[in-house]
Amino acid sequence: MNGTPHVLNRILIGILGLKLLAIGILLVLLATVPAVGTWWQGWSAGLWEHAKYLSEQTRIPGREESWLWVAAAAVLVVLIVLMVAWVSQQGKGRANLIVSEYDEAGTPGDVNIGGNLAEQALKHALADRTDLAGVTVATYEVNGRPGLRIRVQPRQGVSPHTLAADVSRLVEALDMVVGRKTPVLIHIGAGARTRFSRAERVR
Amino acid sequence: MSHAQTPHARRNHSATAHPDPEHAHTAHPATAEGDTPGVQTPGTSDDRRDAGLQRILRRETRSSRAGMAGLAAALVIAACVYALLESALRAIGQPPWLIDPQTAAERLTALPAGISPLLLGALGGVVAMVGLMFFLNAVLPGRKSRHLIEDPRAGVVVDDEVIASALARVARMSANVTQEQVMVVVSQRLVVVNVRPTSGVPLHEERILAAVEDELHRMAPSPMPSVRVNIATSGVIGA
Repeated sequence: MNGTPHVLNRILIGILGLKLLAIGILLVLLATVPAVGTWWQGWSAGLWEHAKYLSEQTRIPGREESWLWVAAAAVLVVLIVLMVAWVSQQGKGRANLIVSEYDEAGTPGDVNIGGNLAEQALKHALADRTDLAGVTVATYEVNGRPGLRIRVQPRQGVSPHTLAADVSRLVEALDMVVGRKTPVLIHIGAGARTRFSRAERVR
Repeated sequence: MSHAQTPHARRNHSATAHPDPEHAHTAHPATAEGDTPGVQTPGTSDDRRDAGLQRILRRETRSSRAGMAGLAAALVIAACVYALLESALRAIGQPPWLIDPQTAAERLTALPAGISPLLLGALGGVVAMVGLMFFLNAVLPGRKSRHLIEDPRAGVVVDDEVIASALARVARMSANVTQEQVMVVVSQRLVVVNVRPTSGVPLHEERILAAVEDELHRMAPSPMPSVRVNIATSGVIGA
């Protein structure tokens, strides 16, 4: 429901995994197969000579060091920033409003309804049910439009379909109150609170 | 009963009332009378909502790999920070912290020499395993153990654990045993009900199977799993 970039995560994790896998296999081969060792020494020595030649060419005028070091440092900094940006993408997408639009039918103006309204209403409606161990309601932004995520944790033995129908009826009542149909996700989940609490025997 | 009847009738209507706006209006009498002025007219926006909901449900049943992403990013950041530190130390002419970049490169080019093959092999094995873990995590479908339940208004995802405990309750009641004697395992396409009978009291496998299947059909999770009932050969005493 949140805006975690699934595809990007898969691609980047896959690239990192492939690289590590290749390095690991190379190390194992170096340790076990002598032929790979001689090939590696020849190949990497050539590469190293080339790098040294490059750094000779790119020396900063009047100094010992090559500006390639500065460039490499800049690349590393950019990489770090990109990684931080990637991490900050995970789990984003919380919203504050469930309805936000311009209405000119009655009095012209913006109509904003906070997500707290839906959250408190649904929580209150489900509060006195003894077959639930916990309810959390959160507003998320999905494709630029607000949506509700209702997470209920029933006690052991509660039939999920009847619970889903009950919650769905509450959501329909909420639709009437708010006057808008927002996308709603009902997640009937299990957690530590349901696992260690008593089973629902009479229903 | 009549109280429960009304929303059900409306559910059935709105489930079938996609293309025809007139029909959809009769399905929501309150909106047709106009006492809630801001309500959307069904039609294209309804379809868009459904498409959005489908996308949400598809995302909810698959792992987001957020944890793995964080781990991978932390790994890359740590490597970058270390490389940055060493090259900065070299750039300002300070002695290196662990190893000078140039010596590191020279050691790397001479690799099979200078380190014990056992250590090198073990190191390679560990790196390859970590890489394989990341790679498989990215490539495998990463399905979460959840099922979907059809609902006319909202998208519903249910953890398999909840389904299992509901089915366990039904199995327990139909077999007339205690809670501890029933264990239900729910996977994507299979439900396994393990029952340990009370010593001396015979169990009817068909009755348990029928009860569990009945409950499962009413629940209608998608994908629909098939049911298998195992009755243990040894019983428990005094339950």
